[in-house]
Amino acid sequence: MTEAPLISVENLTRHYKVGEEEVRALDGVSFDVMRGEWVAVVGQSGSGKSTLMNLIGALDTPSGGSYRINGHDVEKLSDDQLADLRNNEIGFVFQTFQLLSRSTALANVELPLVYRGLPRKERKERAVKALEAVGLANRMHHKPNELSGGQRQRVAIARALVGNPSLLLADEPTGNLDSATGEEIIRLFGELHQRGHTILLVTHEPRLAARCPRAIRLSDGKVVADGPGADVASLGAPPVPSPHPGAAA
Amino acid sequence: MRGFVDNLGLAFNTLRGNPLRSLLTLLGIVIGAATVVAMMSLVEGFRISVNKDLEGLGAGSFQVQKWPATFGHVDRAKYAKRPDLTREQGDALRSLPHVGHVSIEAYHGGRPEKISTRDRATKPNVTVGGGVPDYQFANAITIAQGRFFTDTDIALGGRVAVVGADVADVLFPGESGVGKEIRIRSTPFTVVGVAERRGSTLGGSQDGWVIIPLDPYYQVLGRVTNHNIAIQATAPEYFNQAQDEVIARLRSIRGLRGLQENDFDIYSNETLTGTFNQFAGVVAAATFAVTLLALVVGGIGVMNIMLVSVAERTREIGVRMALGARRRRILSQFVIEAVTLSLLGGVLGVLLGGGGAILAREVWSIPASVPAWAVLLSLLSASGAGIVFGIYPAIRASRLDPVEAMRTE
Repeated sequence: MTEAPLISVENLTRHYKVGEEEVRALDGVSFDVMRGEWVAVVGQSGSGKSTLMNLIGALDTPSGGSYRINGHDVEKLSDDQLADLRNNEIGFVFQTFQLLSRSTALANVELPLVYRGLPRKERKERAVKALEAVGLANRMHHKPNELSGGQRQRVAIARALVGNPSLLLADEPTGNLDSATGEEIIRLFGELHQRGHTILLVTHEPRLAARCPRAIRLSDGKVVADGPGADVASLGAPPVPSPHPGAAA
Repeated sequence: MRGFVDNLGLAFNTLRGNPLRSLLTLLGIVIGAATVVAMMSLVEGFRISVNKDLEGLGAGSFQVQKWPATFGHVDRAKYAKRPDLTREQGDALRSLPHVGHVSIEAYHGGRPEKISTRDRATKPNVTVGGGVPDYQFANAITIAQGRFFTDTDIALGGRVAVVGADVADVLFPGESGVGKEIRIRSTPFTVVGVAERRGSTLGGSQDGWVIIPLDPYYQVLGRVTNHNIAIQATAPEYFNQAQDEVIARLRSIRGLRGLQENDFDIYSNETLTGTFNQFAGVVAAATFAVTLLALVVGGIGVMNIMLVSVAERTREIGVRMALGARRRRILSQFVIEAVTLSLLGGVLGVLLGGGGAILAREVWSIPASVPAWAVLLSLLSASGAGIVFGIYPAIRASRLDPVEAMRTE
């Protein structure tokens, strides 16, 4: 008997009404993600990857199909249950960091634990640990505008990790960073992957996808490729030197 | 509960972030709370004052007067036409079965006099009254030194006087005034008693008076034909009987019949308190109207600022939701913020109104006493305004779509 997947997406659809026209942002997407995997979701803008990210993040509800994460049937959950699911199972890392500008790094990292109802002392201890884990122990009383872009994204990653979620969901995490800083962040994701975290990385950059052990390519709301990152990344994009010669499909 | 404390912290952060804006928003609430506290402090102060004054009337006592005892406008012409209450009419009440003491009193409209001894003199601020021995009982005078004058004093020629504590202080400092001579308009009187101090109410002393028997009063200060008559029932439980008997007797000797209205007024502690309470009620109603208006204006200010706050923090709300805040939690965050804001306004208003009242008392001797219930009422209504006017912006915040909200800048 095999281990149950952490994420199981089956025939997921999401339609929007734009005026009289129906837009099929997601049109029957299916895949599984096992615990400990690092998966990139790539695609052009408009391919449906943001929609998929919102559905997997339990920020949106699908028009059809099913989505299970860690045993929860997400499409059946109430509003409050969705909030609790986001709180307990998912750690978000956004392109624009989405830190609260008037709160310190520490307070930002504590926030998910506030909504989990943990006592102040425990919140603080765990937040300090999370900040230490991303190398920001000496910046925790700084506010976001006193931090560099890379540091802000590290705070956001600490915030995503602090609740010990089963899935780290990163949406273009290097999109607002220069390439050197972006590289640092990707290396940090690599370390987290090494430590056993499950990571779903949404990106439009084939270069990033190529670094992930696995990638899923979306186009027009459908999965068009699912395989080793380097292979999927090279599809329909300028060829990149593959780290695994001979693995190309 | 923990969530509540966290939300409270958030609320204060917001206030700290925009102190000026918060303060301006609160102006309406501040004014409302200040009005309630200031007005109610004045009414309460006057009430305490009036009650203290009324203690001057002895237990089970009531007054008969030509003039009514009311607050506010009096149609003087109507009452001036009433016939005077004479000394004889007063004396005619003594034989009534439930009437104990009848004090017939004469005043020259309260015109003050200067009292002197060989060595000293008061300022011309002493109220001189003419009375009978029963004065002591009907007005609950306690004698500190000596005694009140008696029928014997009157029979012996009656140039005797009982003086209030202030008068004794000025004329006989550090010694007893009993047996000493004082002069009223150059006529000598012998002091037989000094009254115990009653203290001051409504900013004025209650101890600046001299009482002398009626006949010398007429001789020295001039004849008066109208008198106040203070009556004490034989026992407090016969108060109503005594009052009925007095009304019946006075109607008959003053020639009133059938449905004719009484041409005199009767009042006691109870009726005076009632009259005052009526007046206080009108003030309270007016205050509440002003307050309600201020609260509505203030509440709209709070709603406005909360809508701005929600709009400004749309992205923040989205982030909070993404991180696991339930909608109800967002709702309560903004309601608590609105209530904290309004309550702060309430506290400022209470400080302003209560401080003003205390200032008025200390600086201008206006009787004012800040009642705890007015403070409580102000704070409660401020919080109420916060809830009522904060709920709509909070609902708007809680219904935001997290994805959309995080996209706004």
